[in-house]
Amino acid sequence: MATPTTNYFRITLLRSAIGLPKRTSGVLAALGLHKRLRTVYHPVTQTVAGQVFAVKELVDVQEVDRALSKQEMKGLRQPEKGYFVETKAGAVGRENA
Amino acid sequence: MLSRTLKRALLDSRLPLPPTFLLPWAAGLTTVSHTPEAGNVPPPLIDSAQHVSTDRQAMKSASKQPKSASPAHTAPATAPKLPAPSSTGTSPIALSQSVRDLLPLLQAQGSHYITAHIFDRPYLLTQGDTVRLPFFMKDVAPGDILRLNKASNIGSRDYTLKASAAAPKLKSSTTTTVEVLDPTSGSLASHSRVMPTPSPDSETPSSTAARTMAPHFIPHIAKGKVSYLDDRLFVCRAVVMGVEAEPMRVKEKTKRRQRKVKSVKSKHRYTILKVKEVRIRGVEEIEGGDELD
Repeated sequence: MATPTTNYFRITLLRSAIGLPKRTSGVLAALGLHKRLRTVYHPVTQTVAGQVFAVKELVDVQEVDRALSKQEMKGLRQPEKGYFVETKAGAVGRENA
Repeated sequence: MLSRTLKRALLDSRLPLPPTFLLPWAAGLTTVSHTPEAGNVPPPLIDSAQHVSTDRQAMKSASKQPKSASPAHTAPATAPKLPAPSSTGTSPIALSQSVRDLLPLLQAQGSHYITAHIFDRPYLLTQGDTVRLPFFMKDVAPGDILRLNKASNIGSRDYTLKASAAAPKLKSSTTTTVEVLDPTSGSLASHSRVMPTPSPDSETPSSTAARTMAPHFIPHIAKGKVSYLDDRLFVCRAVVMGVEAEPMRVKEKTKRRQRKVKSVKSKHRYTILKVKEVRIRGVEEIEGGDELD
């Protein structure tokens, strides 16, 4: 159970900052969290740690060693097709159309 | 194809993964996370079919246990086929003894149904059904024969073949991290604490087992995940019949005290499939490994 090298915080906004002081929503904006359930990656530094601490009740944080890009995160959301084209229409040798 | 295999693999695997930077980002993306080697390797970026296949094999063999409620468990054309994507797993499928015993019974029963998943949405199908998909399927023409290869259930009147249970709901490591430092005896130095990763060789997850780390916690996607059967167990073919369109509908968009009314027209199209074949392979056929029809 070696401690893995962790370079990034993976921060997900779980609760909204509506009704909270503007400072809190300012921190969220600085982190890049403008909507609920958005996820951002920030390197592990004292600055970011302090920002997370300021909104710790609103976010979910994990330490990961790699930051996913937006395309990668979008790919995570895509479902699998569940089918593939076995025979194209009009292919030579088909018995029945 | 490769992405499909890898994504399938990721959903099942429990083994550590090679570094993500070696892998194409689009291959094998998944939202179900698994034990990464370093504790938090993003699951999508996997390339090791080798790692995956052995583990999947173990999972699949364990997963073929029939449910006890009802005896659960249970079975084309010389046209030139396009090269099919590699089926799930590169290693020979390992069927459990109960599967071997009951699969012929399932096959022997007359009619079968299948819960096929297209884009993760289930469709309860049987041979001869006409399916109007709620979307327009691109890149297919009327007459194309599709092979549906993601299914969660296949059954007949008395038997049902199900896939293994879905992976347990994953929790973020931080939700279970509680640490209290006793100032008198403990060290006051700060340190980073990461949840321990379960051993890579952990078998089928149990409810009480240490939860698999959730390296990329996606709350709105992680729920509702279904587990799928190995696609070498069955054959399900559907032919594209054509495309249907809804009647034109017009949405009027305007605001109060605003004279301008904008009209937006919609006329969506929907692909129609007809299920031509729902068949369960025999034990010999599955273990023989030949993918002819």
